[in-house]
Amino acid sequence: MTDSVVVGAGLAGLVAATRLAHAGQSVVLLAQGLGGLPLSTGTVDILGYAGAPVDHPLRAVAELVRGAPDHPYAVIGPAAVTSGLDWLQALLPELLQGDLKTNVTLPTALGALRPTCLHPPSMAAGAVATGSAAESAIAIVGPHQLKDFGPELCAANLARLLAAAGRETSVTAYRIDLPARPGETDSSPLTYARRLDQADYRQRFAQLVAERLGGETVVGLPAVLGLADPAAWEDLGQLIGRPVFEIGLAPPSVPGLRLHNALTAAARQAGVRIVLGAQATGFRTRGDRLVSLRSHQAGAGRDWPGDHFVYAGGGWESGAFRLDSHGHMVETVFGLPLRGGDVADANIDLLGPDYWQDQELFKVGLEVDRTMRPLGPSKQPVFSNLHAVGSLLAGAVRWSELSGEGIAVGSAQAAAAAILGLEPEKGK
Amino acid sequence: MFEPDSHEYNLLTKVSVDQCLKCTICETQCPVMAVTELFPGPKFVGPQAERFRDGQSVDRSLDYCSSCGTCTLVCPQQVKVAEINSVARAAMKRHHMPLRDRLISRTTAMGALMRPVAPLANAALAWRPLRVLVEQIIGLHRQAAVPRSAGRPFRSWWSHHTPSGAQDKGSVIFFHGCAGNWFEVQTAIEAVQILEHIGFRVIVPKQGCCGMACQSNGLFDDARRQVRRLAADLGQAPADLPIVSIAGSCQGMLKHEAAAILGLSDDPALQDVGQRTHDICQFLLDLAQEGKLPLDWRPNPATVVYHAPCQLKAQAMGQPAVALLRLVPDLQVVESNVTCCGIAGTYGLKKEKYDIAAAVGRPLFDLVEQVSPALVACDTETCRWQLRHHTGARVEHPIHLIHQAYGLG
Repeated sequence: MTDSVVVGAGLAGLVAATRLAHAGQSVVLLAQGLGGLPLSTGTVDILGYAGAPVDHPLRAVAELVRGAPDHPYAVIGPAAVTSGLDWLQALLPELLQGDLKTNVTLPTALGALRPTCLHPPSMAAGAVATGSAAESAIAIVGPHQLKDFGPELCAANLARLLAAAGRETSVTAYRIDLPARPGETDSSPLTYARRLDQADYRQRFAQLVAERLGGETVVGLPAVLGLADPAAWEDLGQLIGRPVFEIGLAPPSVPGLRLHNALTAAARQAGVRIVLGAQATGFRTRGDRLVSLRSHQAGAGRDWPGDHFVYAGGGWESGAFRLDSHGHMVETVFGLPLRGGDVADANIDLLGPDYWQDQELFKVGLEVDRTMRPLGPSKQPVFSNLHAVGSLLAGAVRWSELSGEGIAVGSAQAAAAAILGLEPEKGK
Repeated sequence: MFEPDSHEYNLLTKVSVDQCLKCTICETQCPVMAVTELFPGPKFVGPQAERFRDGQSVDRSLDYCSSCGTCTLVCPQQVKVAEINSVARAAMKRHHMPLRDRLISRTTAMGALMRPVAPLANAALAWRPLRVLVEQIIGLHRQAAVPRSAGRPFRSWWSHHTPSGAQDKGSVIFFHGCAGNWFEVQTAIEAVQILEHIGFRVIVPKQGCCGMACQSNGLFDDARRQVRRLAADLGQAPADLPIVSIAGSCQGMLKHEAAAILGLSDDPALQDVGQRTHDICQFLLDLAQEGKLPLDWRPNPATVVYHAPCQLKAQAMGQPAVALLRLVPDLQVVESNVTCCGIAGTYGLKKEKYDIAAAVGRPLFDLVEQVSPALVACDTETCRWQLRHHTGARVEHPIHLIHQAYGLG
């Protein structure tokens, strides 16, 4: 008999499943695809913008929920966010460093500055206020054959932004000529990462970079510095003779993939049975309880009975919500009511013409109680043993306020605690 | 190009291509792309190239896809990447199908031809000068792991076999596949002995090839004929009985590939058989979870690496063998978590792909050497041959360990 059935293999699903398995539960995790982490930055955002860039994310979350009771953080509470992220950081110390109370600002591939909180050690030197990059001459270097990274673009924008902030830091771009594999003129970041796991290739890469450098004291490189070897980036720094930092790229995201691989391995290690390709297609109930979930399986499909269910199917982007041509959104597995989804009559533009405006589409989602159970129209849980976590929750535009990982981990923590019969975390 | 409104035409032009967001998750998991620059990846040759194909392939790199199906399995948007690529390759090879690809997809014929001269055939296939010649003439790699004929086929054993056991749990239909009859005969015998030991009456209808080898080589018409015939054969036995399979990949042909790739989704006989077909480990595990499987198993203080075949993972049931083997007292089961062993049916047999297949499987072979060079479990025959060839390990179907646990060995 399965104690908990989890749907979704993104950050929220993997954290919930692993926490439950660590507590001794037998857990099945059903996923339609691999999960979204390979598309993620590999960093953990709690809150990046609240009008202005945020320096102290936990404090900002506490302030945010006072003014925005409809925000997911208002039900999750800062305590669950903190304990969930503390747990995650302790689980993956090689991949996540930083202090939950403080954001860092990291350069992007476009040379913009992006606030985030926990981050891979391989990115730390790039933090423009606290890393080596704070008081240095910066070199931005990339291979000609890596089309997803233009060092000139990155360096020019970064120089402009740092100058505007009153900093006298020089930022210089260099290129090296080294395909990931012989003969390739357009190598994937992933191929570079796999090659940089190999010591001899690392040496050649480092040598070419070192030859290009002038008086720069810190080197920004595309985030391809090893996939399986967590020490590859440090070794490269030593070979180059200067601190190096990784700069995130468009997908496939190597830091995101490292996080995915590590978290999936931890889930398996904890005994979670992961079933891929198992799209949730239906469910059975008894009274107010879910009895089993049905999933796609070649042949006849399959029922997965369980005591508890955690739904971490992602939001609209992941197909958990569907938008029809009349502007009406539905949740696709359970038909759960969506807050903000019935916009046909309200004359609301779900997607406005201005990219930077508050896009209502992304705020549509499930309303939940403090144990993360989706609520019906009368504000009662729809099912007594169904919990929803992550991007399903209504009220946040994660990609513009930079809150996705904090919401995912905090809600997974709250749901796992509720299932395990622990006291729901109280806000401080 | 295919006729408008044919299955192939619809799959290529309409169904799931537009769902592709170009998110690259398939590229992160493609085992072939990771080891060779000859294959630009499932996204590139699939949903991306499809928009430009218009009857012809953009280039021939598609031929380096091994059809392992990993791309479809990991896609978050339900794009049928592998299916698109299988059909596109069939179109590409339509008018110049290599003789080799026609030959190596005849698994039943191969077994039947080798059997009367088994020792000779096995020796000949191990004789290097002959293999060099075969490689030069038809392009079968000189080192490729070709199966060894077991001599006496399973069906001969079966026809002399006297059923044992209480037979009080009802009947099951047994699907052994070509390999179970000609090459992996002991596995088929052990499966029958387990099923009888736990109380089932086993029915073994006449059965031929599932057509997967023809399908993956682009010989769709042959594949359709074969799988339809198999469905008819298996369906002949009393209706509604579960069909229990030891052919981890072939069962996938019955359960979904014939519909998804060959377009036989409206075939009622196939639908019926597909729904009743159970992987043997899943079947036993379900019994165990219902409390109906005797678990008076002997301890086995061994370590085994379990590797899940791609075509088994594609069936979306996870890895039932792992949960089943973990019920054996004292047995340490290490999941390989490696995407693919490289062989992908007949892919790794081909002269131009042998090295790629070996590189794909390298992490798995290394793991076997590190963790349990003595014993590996894997549900599909061709993967077992590849693993034996590259590691020298003893590689068995997981049920071999269950057979041992029951003390039937």
